[in-house]
Amino acid sequence: MRKNWNALAATSVMALALAACSSDPALDVSQTGNGEDTIELAEFPDRPYWGDTHLHTDNSVDAFGFGVRLGPEAALRFARGEEVTATTGAQAQLARPLDFLVISDHSDALGATRRLYDAPRWYVNWVIGDETVLRWYDMMHESPEQSQRAIGELITAAANGTTPEALADAEAAADSTKDIWNTHLGILDRYNEPGTFTALAGYEWTAMPDGNNLHRVVMFRDGSDRTSQIVPFPGIGNPVEALWDALAQYEANTGGQALAIPHNSNVSNGLMFEMTMPDGSPMTAEYARKRAENEPVVEVTQIKGDSETHPFLSPNDEMAGFGVEGWELGNLPLTIETEPDMLAGSYARSALLRGLSLEAQLGVNPYAFGMIGSTDSHTSMATGDEDNFWGKHTGSEQANTERALQAQNLGTRVGRFGWHYLAGGYAAAWARGNTRAEIFDAFQRREVYATTGPRMSVRIFGGFDFTADDWDNDWVRAGYTRGVPMGGELTDQGDAPTFLISALKDPDGANLDRVQVVKGWLDASGEMQERVYDVVWSDMDTRRRTGSGLTPVGDTVDRETATYTNDIGAAELRTTWTDPSYSQGQRAFYYVRVLEIPTPRWPLYDAVRFGFELPADALEAAVAQERAYTSPIWLKPQA
Amino acid sequence: MNLPNWTREPLVQFLALGALVYVVLTWGGDPVDPASRVIDVGPEQQAQISLNFERIMGRAPTDAELDVAIDKYVRDEVLYREALRLGLDQGDAVVRQRMVSKMDMSATVAVETLDPDEAVLRAYYDENADRYAGAVSVSFEQAFFADRDAAQAALGGEVLGNEALGDAISLPRSLEGESMREVSTVFGEGFARGLNELEPGEEWQGPLPSGFGWHLVRLNARTSEPADFDSVRERVDNDWRNAEMESRERAAFDILSSAYRIEIDR
Repeated sequence: MRKNWNALAATSVMALALAACSSDPALDVSQTGNGEDTIELAEFPDRPYWGDTHLHTDNSVDAFGFGVRLGPEAALRFARGEEVTATTGAQAQLARPLDFLVISDHSDALGATRRLYDAPRWYVNWVIGDETVLRWYDMMHESPEQSQRAIGELITAAANGTTPEALADAEAAADSTKDIWNTHLGILDRYNEPGTFTALAGYEWTAMPDGNNLHRVVMFRDGSDRTSQIVPFPGIGNPVEALWDALAQYEANTGGQALAIPHNSNVSNGLMFEMTMPDGSPMTAEYARKRAENEPVVEVTQIKGDSETHPFLSPNDEMAGFGVEGWELGNLPLTIETEPDMLAGSYARSALLRGLSLEAQLGVNPYAFGMIGSTDSHTSMATGDEDNFWGKHTGSEQANTERALQAQNLGTRVGRFGWHYLAGGYAAAWARGNTRAEIFDAFQRREVYATTGPRMSVRIFGGFDFTADDWDNDWVRAGYTRGVPMGGELTDQGDAPTFLISALKDPDGANLDRVQVVKGWLDASGEMQERVYDVVWSDMDTRRRTGSGLTPVGDTVDRETATYTNDIGAAELRTTWTDPSYSQGQRAFYYVRVLEIPTPRWPLYDAVRFGFELPADALEAAVAQERAYTSPIWLKPQA
Repeated sequence: MNLPNWTREPLVQFLALGALVYVVLTWGGDPVDPASRVIDVGPEQQAQISLNFERIMGRAPTDAELDVAIDKYVRDEVLYREALRLGLDQGDAVVRQRMVSKMDMSATVAVETLDPDEAVLRAYYDENADRYAGAVSVSFEQAFFADRDAAQAALGGEVLGNEALGDAISLPRSLEGESMREVSTVFGEGFARGLNELEPGEEWQGPLPSGFGWHLVRLNARTSEPADFDSVRERVDNDWRNAEMESRERAAFDILSSAYRIEIDR
């Protein structure tokens, strides 16, 4: 007994002694700041910078509980292209590094599960003294499966507001949060390399009234010189206005900038994009203004499904419904089923429409947002590709060969299966260079777009005097000087707007099927309308439009081998398109949706690699057309 | 901190730490006996508690906060000693695992906050030269063809150099001094591999395949940026730290395990 005591004391003394006699290596201000004036910038945004704004590491309560043992440092190394050893043991490396990363660990109980897990059992038993916590603790140590079950219960408890008090001890949590946050910021600065790789600070604000997902990822423009002045703002029990106030306070106190990115509106049961205030009263202009200011971008596609639109909302859109299956059944923990009248508040396209309607009433559009994709991976590894899917969390890494078919219910979530998970998306930011300031500013002006994983380059410029001749010259310059890029606003001049639209395939991916413009508008009687236009597609001379839509591009996917060929589709599609349904004074938005040719999804790769058969419904969903959604351009009536 | 090189040997550090621990436990501080029922929170202990608070909160505690912290310390201490008295640390898989990771950590904790000598980093940099000398830049012009035969035909023709040569595509017609990492991002991995095979010269070469189609290329220059330690210093530091932690963990284990005779019946 005496011996053990000595060992404990010894190590802590060692740690203190060493911490005291060494100092942090001094980092260059280009790494600790926001990156302004650190690199030469292009005249106009020159390429899409690729990133993931939504990644969890072992500092996240649930990620740790699900088994991940990789921390922020490994996450950064992996994203910038280094090889890491995944929690389940395999060596993993991104074939193509990312340009930027936001690590977004949950602000609630930041690091708490790791601390709970690390604590000796007697401490949990005697000092914490909560039966539920002790039971979770034992489950976490028993097996990975039990650990997941424990975290499932923990999430449900958080969603239902029944978290044991011992875990919700705010004061104790604040101390350790500050500690973990500051350490984390130091690591971010070390890996932030202007011009090569940008490490942005952020966290996830995880509000979930009754299990309805209202989560936001918060992202900062600044380095640790500013971000260390705050700690992540807790989600549980706080309304979103409190988050906005906290961000405003941060900006006022530090001179920095922050924004919030809603995600998984698809499991919010209509609460993410309401027509009213959260309490049901009419929305105020003040609320709408705050929302617009703080939330310029929405994450519309990620592992837990796609939130662009739902077939119920867009019955005339034959390409609607990607990544909807399973997730449409209910809220996040599936404690409340989704009713059809909730859907309009859960999907981005209908929210953009609601925004037009609210703007007509209030004078300010709360839902004038751009769109991005991200992973929401809980493995510390930002993987977005189908052939390289590392799972939603460590329990569904590739080591689990049955992950595609497992029910995602742990006994209760009937109707959601492994194959409903998407491989995750990425965010593309049109920036003039790769720094914190440039990437953040692209988000702020909504010059960003979502993809479901592939890295296609998509541009749209809106204006009133573009012609097909612009393609023969420097059309990017024309776009920026005579129009606005995605995320921008046009003011009605009495003529239909014209758009320069270009989509270049992922150089290492599949060819393109078609480019569509999704238009939403208010008609003369103020009703919300939407229409999807096929504006350019591959083999236009042979693929005709019929009564049931455009002739499909075809399908080269071999289900036996999980392979496809680029014998169909196009490398690049571009066009000059003028809105045929324009009418003067109309409020409208236009965004581009780009579809790839059909390719295998991760469950098909799994089935081939691990040698099992997918059931019919899973097999049908195992091939899909991956896609990109740009931020809209808005057309506004003259004031 | 400027120490002679031998002090940076993991073995030396590990032994020195062991000695330090021994001294601390036999002489310094309070050699607390868990059997003792006296908890003495003297000025030194209070200073330590206060310091811990300050490290986390970024400011000194108020008197009231210090009182709370001291009460917490006393409570933890009582429960901790009682737990030891009851033998709760015995046969507990978590305590065992915790001790194991603490031992691992004791071998590596120094690395996390260490400010390595420039010479150390430079040595690591030299040893892993190919990792950092990867910054190859190229200057080239390219013409795109959707069709391979058309590209081949153009290569044999006289029209090269004509700005309008090839098919339209939204790719840069030329790049000046661009890194291969960037080339690979924009043109894809296949094209980058093909480009690596070409020798710089006046003439047009190819066609090179890419995910888009075929490219004729005039590779005007390829420069391997001279290895520049300063520009990658932070990356070297990060990599060195990672490698150092792993090697110290291994070295420490080797020292300790060498004192054991391990018998495995197979």
